[in-house]
Formats: sequence, C-alpha cells, structure tokens
Amino acid sequence: MSHQPTITDNLQLSADSKLPQILFGIGIIGLLISAYGYFADANQFFFSYLVSFTFFTGIAIASVFMVMFHHITKSKWGVVIRRIPETFGANLGVWAFFAIPILLGIHNLYHWSHEDAVAADKILKGKSAYLNTPFFIIRQILYFVIWGFVGHKLYKASIDMDITGDWGISSLMRRISAPAIPLFGLSIAFASFDWLMSLDPHWFSTMFGVYFFAISFQSFWAVMILMVFFLQRNGYLKNTIGKVHVYDMGAWLFAFTVFYAYIAFAQFLLIYYANLPEETLWFYHRLEGSWKFIAYGLLLLRFTLPFLVLLNREQKHDRKILTYVSILVLIMHFLEIYWIAMPTLSAHGIHFSWIDFSTLIGLGGIFFGMFFQRFKQNSMIPEKDPKLGACLEKSYHQ
Amino acid sequence: MEQRNLYGILAEFDNPKELIDISKEVVELGYDKFDTYSPFPIHGIDKAMKLKKSKLGWIVLGHGILGFCGALAMMYFMSVIDYPLNIGGKPFFNVPAWVPVTFELTILLSAFGTVFGMFFLNGLPRFNHPLFNIERFKNSTDDKFFICIEASDSKFHTDIVLDLFKNAGASYIEEVYE
Repeated sequence: MSHQPTITDNLQLSADSKLPQILFGIGIIGLLISAYGYFADANQFFFSYLVSFTFFTGIAIASVFMVMFHHITKSKWGVVIRRIPETFGANLGVWAFFAIPILLGIHNLYHWSHEDAVAADKILKGKSAYLNTPFFIIRQILYFVIWGFVGHKLYKASIDMDITGDWGISSLMRRISAPAIPLFGLSIAFASFDWLMSLDPHWFSTMFGVYFFAISFQSFWAVMILMVFFLQRNGYLKNTIGKVHVYDMGAWLFAFTVFYAYIAFAQFLLIYYANLPEETLWFYHRLEGSWKFIAYGLLLLRFTLPFLVLLNREQKHDRKILTYVSILVLIMHFLEIYWIAMPTLSAHGIHFSWIDFSTLIGLGGIFFGMFFQRFKQNSMIPEKDPKLGACLEKSYHQ
Repeated sequence: MEQRNLYGILAEFDNPKELIDISKEVVELGYDKFDTYSPFPIHGIDKAMKLKKSKLGWIVLGHGILGFCGALAMMYFMSVIDYPLNIGGKPFFNVPAWVPVTFELTILLSAFGTVFGMFFLNGLPRFNHPLFNIERFKNSTDDKFFICIEASDSKFHTDIVLDLFKNAGASYIEEVYE
C-alpha cells in the first residue's frame, strides 16, 4: 500500500456549526409562508412549488450523475470535490417527502388528472394509459426509490472507505454506477415528462428528458463552484482544492453551457422548422407576450454571455468571474423552469407572485440544510480513496 | 572547402533533466533564439525555456469570427437579396434555420485556422533544416536530447557558447552550418 497523502487542511465541518439549523429555520419559515399562500391562491402555490421542487431535485439528480461518471471512468481529477455531490445524492431518499405536495396538488397542476376532461378529449384519451393518477403516483415512488437507493449506496460506500480504508470498495462503486447510469437516464427523462412536460398534456417533445438533464447538469456545476468557494471562504479545503480543480469545474461549466445550448436549440429548431400545430403551440405561448423576454434572456444570459466569458482559458479559474457566472446561471435556471411551467397557469405573460420566492427560499433552506447536516457528519473529502494522492498532485499546466 | 554560414551550435544531452537545466541556464544568460529537441514532450520544458503563450488561439478566434459572419452574410445574400424563396410561409430572414450552417462554418474555419495557423507559426512547410546536416541529430527522435543556440542571437559568440555547453556536461557538441 502506498503512503497516505498528507493533507494540511481541517477536513471536518465543526460539529457545533449552526449552519444546518439556520438553514432549516429559513426553510421552515419559507414553507410556512408558502403554506399561507396555499390558502390564498392554491393554483399559484402548487405551480410555484413545482418550479422550486424541480429546480432543487434536478440539481440533486445531476450530482449523483457526476459521482457515477466519476466512478465509472476511474477518474482522478475530482476526488477532492466528490464528497459534495455524494452528500447531495444521499439526501434524495428523504427528499421524496417533498414530492408529496405535488401529488396533493395533482388536480391543480395537471389537466390530464381530471377524468371528465380526459373523457371529452380524444388526444388525452389516447395518452391515458400513461397519464393517469395512479400510475403517476407509482412512478413518483419508483423514481425516488431508484434515486434514493443509488444515492445512499454510493454515499455509504464512500463513507465506508473513509472508515476501513479498503480500496476494494472502489470496484463496488463501479459495480453500482454501471447499471445505475441507464436507470438514472431513463428515470430523469420520465420524471421530467411527468413534472414539466405533462403540464401541457397535448404537447410532447422527445428531447425533453435530455433537455431537463442538460439544464440541471449545467446548474449543478454552478452550485458546485459556489459551494467550493463558500467552503474555502470559511477556511475549509483551502490547500486541498487547488487552482487545477477550480479550473476543472470551470471547464465543466463551460462544456455544459455549450451542451445546454445545443440541446435547447435542437429541441426548438426541429419544432420550429416542422411547424406542426400540436408541437408548435407550446413554443408559441412561450414566445408571445412578456414570456418572450425570458426566452431571449435565456439565449443571451444562459448561453451567449457565459460562453464568451468562459471561452478564455485564464478565465475558467478566475474566482470572481466563476462566481458571477455561476450565480447568473442559477438565476437563469430558475427562470427557465419558470418559463417552462408557468405559461400553463398564466398564458398572457409573466406574473411573478411572492409564493414563487417563498417556495424557492423554503425548499432551498431545507435542501441546503439537509446537505450541511449530513456534510458535517463526515470528512469533506474521501480521505482514503486510492486516487486521492494523484488528484492532489495534479497541477495546473500552462 | 566552401565558406558556409554558421547556423548555430548544437549540444546533445543524455536525459531530459539535463535539458531542462541547460534551458534554464541559457534563458538566464539572456539568449532568446534557441530551441530544444526531444523524442517526447517534457513536462515543464516550456516553463524552463520561458516560452510565451502561443498566439494560435487568437488566429483561431479570428477565423471563427470570420466563419460566423461569413456564413450569415452568405445566407443573407442568397435567401434575402439574390433568390428569396417562400418556404412554408417562413420569413426570408429566417435566423433559427440558419444557425446550423453558421455553426458548421464557424467550426470549419476555426479548424482550418488551427491547422494552417500552426503550420504558419512553425514556419512550415519547408524543405530542409540546417540541423538535418548533423548525423547525430537523428537521435532526437530516439533517446537523445538536444539544444541549439542560433548564431543570429544578439548575444551569440562561438567560444562562449561552446564553453557553456562543455561546462554543462553535454555529451556531444557540434557547430551547425547552413
């Protein structure tokens, strides 16, 4: 066995850190205010909740993807940052609890859940084998069983390696990841069909699953970058996560900015060009009225600006630029989900409600509270990973 | 024997470490017209030689912008000015439909810029190089490491350079003529 790499940093978030409690407090207050919104305007509440819920769930699923890609390619580059996505993924099982309001609001959200509406509509009748309430609920359970199980397994294996130092666990991680990647690919696609695409049950896009993955994965890297900078500002991992690791994350963000634009545009172009009524209508609503400002805003601020700013190699590890770009990407990610979901509720134009923000803050507080609660229980990096030494030795090459 | 111009002085070393050390020394002494030759890329040699960042990126960017603007201009001329066709009632100035072609031409010209820009910056193509006159230089593709200070360097002086290489422990030194 080779020597254990020496790490000078403190790897333990202090046990009496009040961060989780503060975040839980913010989350609970946010959700209580949102609950008041439910009595004020139930439709608005459920739509706002759905937008915030998909915002955070997508990021958590994307983090499990990243961990699995990392294992299956036997990567070295990201060992020092791997514990962060592992922790996000480990919470997915508990996070299922927050899918319950969507099931409760199924009649407010989904037109296809009204049986009389389906009976009167030939197209919906044809889709009713898939789009019906019992099957919808079964699918939600299935998704969270898969995500929760895989997320927990990968986290557990990583923690076990911290304790036992058994390098054989690496191959266990690969054995979990290999079959789980296609399972995740399918489940994230069907989940996005269920949550967002079926809001307009007449519309369909075969690319929607990839599209949801692309937007989630891009914003996942924004979250990673901000999380690493947040930890380093508080004095953690300062010498462990170096310039080269920050550069890698910047390069990922850049790559998935391009991937996002490619997928989002490919979806739009085919529908625009074919110009078939049942497909075009969805974009028609979203390029009319004030919704078009978000649509063009996405083009400019979610792709063009980050692309041009991150194009230069030096800027992919510039902390200030990465911070601003990440914040911008996250704002645009929220607006994009908002732009996908909300025109169903208010077709005439953007109509922000305070409930949009209270659900975002509420679920965000819980999401990150759960993250830090788990994060402080264990080391911030997989200390005994066999590839940790190689990851630490990696140097930024001019 | 006919009079030939001195191109530079070539020195052979046995391992990459020595090549990095001599590169650092040569840079410190203020030479800037010199180059190193090795059978494989040596990690850190560019730092030792104080090489400037390649300008290739800017050439590629220029070509990319040219491809982007050229593609849009071409399609604008063809489908708005020269031969407007009504396709499914869509506008003549149909930007979404032009994106794939614009993208492809941007990539194509960037790729040309990369390959031919690299040739240009390397001074290629050329038929011969003075270093090929040296029989032992063939080992630079096998197991030997070479450095050559060119005679056109303002600090170049035959005796000083010969001494420098001798003291650095070069296994072989030769003056290179054009």
